[in-house]
Amino acid sequence: MATLRDSLGDLVDDVDGLFLFSPSAAYYERFADVDVDRVVVADDNDVNAESFVELPLGFDNVRDRIKFGVEGAMDNGFVAEGDTVACAVSMFDGGGDADSLVRVRVDESMRSGIYDLFTDSRAEPGVIRDVFEVAIDLGKKGQKGKPVGALFVVGDAGKVMNKSRPLSYNPFEKSHVHVGDPIVNVMLKEFSRLDGAFVVSDSGKIVSAYRYLEPSAEGVDIPKGLGARHMAGGAITRDTNAIAIVLSESDGMVRAFKGGDLVLEIDPEEY
Amino acid sequence: MQGGGIREAVATVPIRFWLAFATLFVGLVLGWLTRILARRVLRRIGVPGAIEGTAFERTARDFGTSTVDILAAIAGYFVFGIALFAAVAVAEIEYVAQFWNAVAGFLPQLFFAVIVLIVGVLLGDKVELVVSERFRGVKLPQVGVLPLMAKYSVFYLAALIALGQVGVATGALIVLLAAYVFALVFLGGIAFRHLLSAGAVGTYLLLHQPYTIGDEIRVGDVRGIVQEMDLFVTHVEADGEEYVFPNSKVFAEGFVRFRS
Repeated sequence: MATLRDSLGDLVDDVDGLFLFSPSAAYYERFADVDVDRVVVADDNDVNAESFVELPLGFDNVRDRIKFGVEGAMDNGFVAEGDTVACAVSMFDGGGDADSLVRVRVDESMRSGIYDLFTDSRAEPGVIRDVFEVAIDLGKKGQKGKPVGALFVVGDAGKVMNKSRPLSYNPFEKSHVHVGDPIVNVMLKEFSRLDGAFVVSDSGKIVSAYRYLEPSAEGVDIPKGLGARHMAGGAITRDTNAIAIVLSESDGMVRAFKGGDLVLEIDPEEY
Repeated sequence: MQGGGIREAVATVPIRFWLAFATLFVGLVLGWLTRILARRVLRRIGVPGAIEGTAFERTARDFGTSTVDILAAIAGYFVFGIALFAAVAVAEIEYVAQFWNAVAGFLPQLFFAVIVLIVGVLLGDKVELVVSERFRGVKLPQVGVLPLMAKYSVFYLAALIALGQVGVATGALIVLLAAYVFALVFLGGIAFRHLLSAGAVGTYLLLHQPYTIGDEIRVGDVRGIVQEMDLFVTHVEADGEEYVFPNSKVFAEGFVRFRS
């Protein structure tokens, strides 16, 4: 008689790699004798794994998390196209050990650009993560309970500044605040009622608020239904090497653009 | 005649012994109070939090006590020790007093030496923790030597002060310390002079921002857009090439700012 274990065993039949998402040390050690390569995808390499992909955001969406991990592993050469990998992820209650197993075929269509967005942009990964967190936080709480929109242009600040003009005095002139400083969340929340974009440099310094972006919007293909803020954000990433992180006022989603394309979409409410 | 016997017994012991006993008792109480007070004060000023995780504290914990308790106990014994001497003095025990007077002069010094040593060890451990925390992000094995150096420097200073306190000749050690400090300042000055000069100019540039991110400037032969500026360097990008200038160069050569 076939047991459930036998029937579901084909999920892990001849896989080429095992992806462990944020495993605890004990959980990681459990697979020490398994004959496949282990790849750890976590925010910190606590278990000293040989193959490690840093997870900058705790993607709530498991698809995004797996895509990010697979893409990172492909970039680092841990897996190659055509491999089949098993991903042990935790879908509910993020803290515990894995509760689901996903069998994934590695191919180029997995490349959504999320990994690329963080590690291959001009700005440092930590800066991009901080901006994401600010945007998500802003999307969650809004300004005094009302939904707000915001547009952050991160990286390549010199060029962005030359492709934009000030709408009014720059409140960040001669200041030296960086995203990730504790005060910044409050400041950005206040300034988010101003229209225009925030410009953030490669190292995370907030260069300016209140910028009117003037990229050429030719050939920018963003989903229909998104407004001028997304269009401006998407277009500036085509003209410069910056990335744009946009918080939509109408639907409250945080979207990231790179090279003119929509790369990532996050719902702040799920964080 | 029970009462008479006691009175007689009391009378046979000289009054100064009774005074000495009283002094000793008061000293005991005072020492105990000092111990409690010291423990409370140390707790209140946040000592346990500040020294958490240091090797000394962990060792103390292993012995079922804590640094705060040890310090408080030492303070208590110090007060009790003073009372002991006072009692001996009051009792006017001649031959004992002569010996104890020499010890009495020495004891406070010993007490401070012990305190200095404990504080030095704690401080050294703490410095090591702080420095290694600071360099945690730097994944370089050689960096591990810096926290240790900082720790033993503090240990050395503490030992020097403690030894000086109890009157041991520390002349040679002080010469060693001078050489060490000289090497640190002199060689450090040589090694970091570029960083120092760049940093000095950087403070001016950051405070006054004669140019800022997005401005087009020319430094030397390079004309480009400022991409980034911090305390030490300015990044200027021209035709896809990013030049990183030390701020001292920007200052020494001057810069041209183009207004569009």
